[in-house]
Amino acid sequence: MNSLRARLLVAAAVILAAFGGLAGLILERAFQAGLTQAQQDKLQTLVYSLLGAASSDPSGELTIALEAVPDPRLRQPLSGLEAALFSEDAAIVWSSADFLRLTPPSVPDVGEWRFERLHAPNAFALSFGVRWIDAADDPRRYTVVVLEDAAAYDRQVTVFRRTLWLWLGTTLVALTLALLLLLRWGLAPLRELTRELRQVEAGQQPHIRGNYPVELKPLARDLNAMIVSERNHQTRYRNALGDLAHTLKTPLAVLRGLTNEPGIAAAHRQQLHEQVDRMLDIVDHQLRRAAAAGTRTLTEPVALRALADKLLSAIVKVYATKQLRVDNRIAESLLLRADEGDLYDLLGNLLDNAAKYGKRQLGISAECENGQTLISVEDDGAGFPDDAGKLLTRGARADTRQPGQGLGLAAVAEIVQAYGGTLRLERSALGGAKVIVALPMH
Amino acid sequence: MRALVIEDDPTLREQVIRFLSDDGFAVDAAPDGDHGAYMALEYPADVAIIDLGLPGVTGLDIVRRARAAGRMYPILILTARDGWQAKVEGLEAGADDYLVKPFHREELLARVRALLRRSGGWASAQLSSGPYVVDTSAKSVSSDGKPVELTSYEYRVLEYLVTHAGKVISKSELTEHLYPENEERDSNVIEVFIRRLRAKLDPDAHYNPITTIRGAGYRWDLPRR
Repeated sequence: MNSLRARLLVAAAVILAAFGGLAGLILERAFQAGLTQAQQDKLQTLVYSLLGAASSDPSGELTIALEAVPDPRLRQPLSGLEAALFSEDAAIVWSSADFLRLTPPSVPDVGEWRFERLHAPNAFALSFGVRWIDAADDPRRYTVVVLEDAAAYDRQVTVFRRTLWLWLGTTLVALTLALLLLLRWGLAPLRELTRELRQVEAGQQPHIRGNYPVELKPLARDLNAMIVSERNHQTRYRNALGDLAHTLKTPLAVLRGLTNEPGIAAAHRQQLHEQVDRMLDIVDHQLRRAAAAGTRTLTEPVALRALADKLLSAIVKVYATKQLRVDNRIAESLLLRADEGDLYDLLGNLLDNAAKYGKRQLGISAECENGQTLISVEDDGAGFPDDAGKLLTRGARADTRQPGQGLGLAAVAEIVQAYGGTLRLERSALGGAKVIVALPMH
Repeated sequence: MRALVIEDDPTLREQVIRFLSDDGFAVDAAPDGDHGAYMALEYPADVAIIDLGLPGVTGLDIVRRARAAGRMYPILILTARDGWQAKVEGLEAGADDYLVKPFHREELLARVRALLRRSGGWASAQLSSGPYVVDTSAKSVSSDGKPVELTSYEYRVLEYLVTHAGKVISKSELTEHLYPENEERDSNVIEVFIRRLRAKLDPDAHYNPITTIRGAGYRWDLPRR
């Protein structure tokens, strides 16, 4: 039960069903009670009428003249309404047409009413105990019994029940549907927030923009603050590393300059060189490792083409004498979610190498394929030597004539590794080297 | 040639100044961004070397201000981190090349020389014009393949004129670009240098490489090769 909507819906459905069932039962009971009461009242009236019509026969027994019965159904056989008088010893002294019972259903005390539901036959029975005092002053004890068929009652109950449950069911279904709509509407801002967050994650928008209800506003605000702080943190971190690099490398530059002093013996000069280079190597390596941000969820997406354009114009400027012809084939729309600084270093080193070792032409292209962004940089130089893999280790250089620290490809490899990508060295259609970087997309 | 160095670390600054002056540059130096920004705008310079991590006005701002003020001399920026974002920013701001700290003396000088050549429109370190070849790395001059012996100052005047071949260079510009700020200048000395250069380069008055433009200055008049 991991969805809010499912939880609310199931809970609401259970409550609605319980409430509906209970309400239905109560209504049914109330209706039956009312109907039964009405039945009893009707029979009671009949008993009084019967007693009103009763008189003593010559033998002193109580009897009712057939033409004097208060309800004509009592004169009809199979009319569903029957009545009888029982004497004290439970013998029939008078009965309506076709009264089939030989004993009263029960014998109430004098002045007591007893209302019962009989099952064979299906009928209501009302018994009343009377003491009859006539002119002869000979009080006798009788039981008046009235029976009425319960079929009509049952029919009414059935009809009521059917109507009740039909409408109750319909109402419940309608309520559930209304609830469903209500939930959709009520949870819509949450759904929208989720969608926006996904967009941000996918790098399709920089932050959460929507106008949310008051309950969600703080959340949206905090999320945006988090996104911004995450990005700022990265920038601050990078700046701090830059400062650290500056403070470490300026003295190293002085040391390196000192190695040219004429007073230093040749043997020492060599050692000084080596030690400075080693220190520099360590500083570079550690700084780069610390700086490679790697995969981050909330970094702003980078438009790769614009970034490559900036780098290319910088490279063209630096290698002005080469009069490079550069070709940027990256699509305008290609966005890559990676730290901007990392991408600068990644492409900068690749393009710098291409410009350094190439003759006139260099090209860059990128495409998305199977959940990966493939970036290739190529030139028209001599291409990679056969033991190209060595270039990926720090300090190795394909052509020792070129100035530089030979760390370009190694730095690239480190960044690629931080993103869980791969690096491939190939031969370009331009004739020179081609480096293909595959970065996984998220 | 006159170089402007803006670097806050005193030892490194002194070192760079020495590298450059040993190579024949007149050097002005600023220890921080505020002085640097002033000098970048007000001092004559053929090339500027600017550290990006400066106290006060940042190196990047100095580059921007110099370019905004129309100063077109080539700028080499020094960066500590080999981060490309900083390099791109510097180059976008108007710098022409970058150098990552720490650097070798030779590397620094090679970059500065290359920038100067580029700004003068020369493609190689050998400036060839007429029968003359001025080798800016070896600081030697030859005429028809035969070496010409020049003093350090004579060479500087010649290199400046040849680098800006075809352009009229005033005497005051020459003095400005050959002497550091605090050194005494005497524009009459320039006339002496020019006279000696003419005698050494063209004893038979055959090529007449340096033309005097009355009231304006001098011009190297031989075509580039």
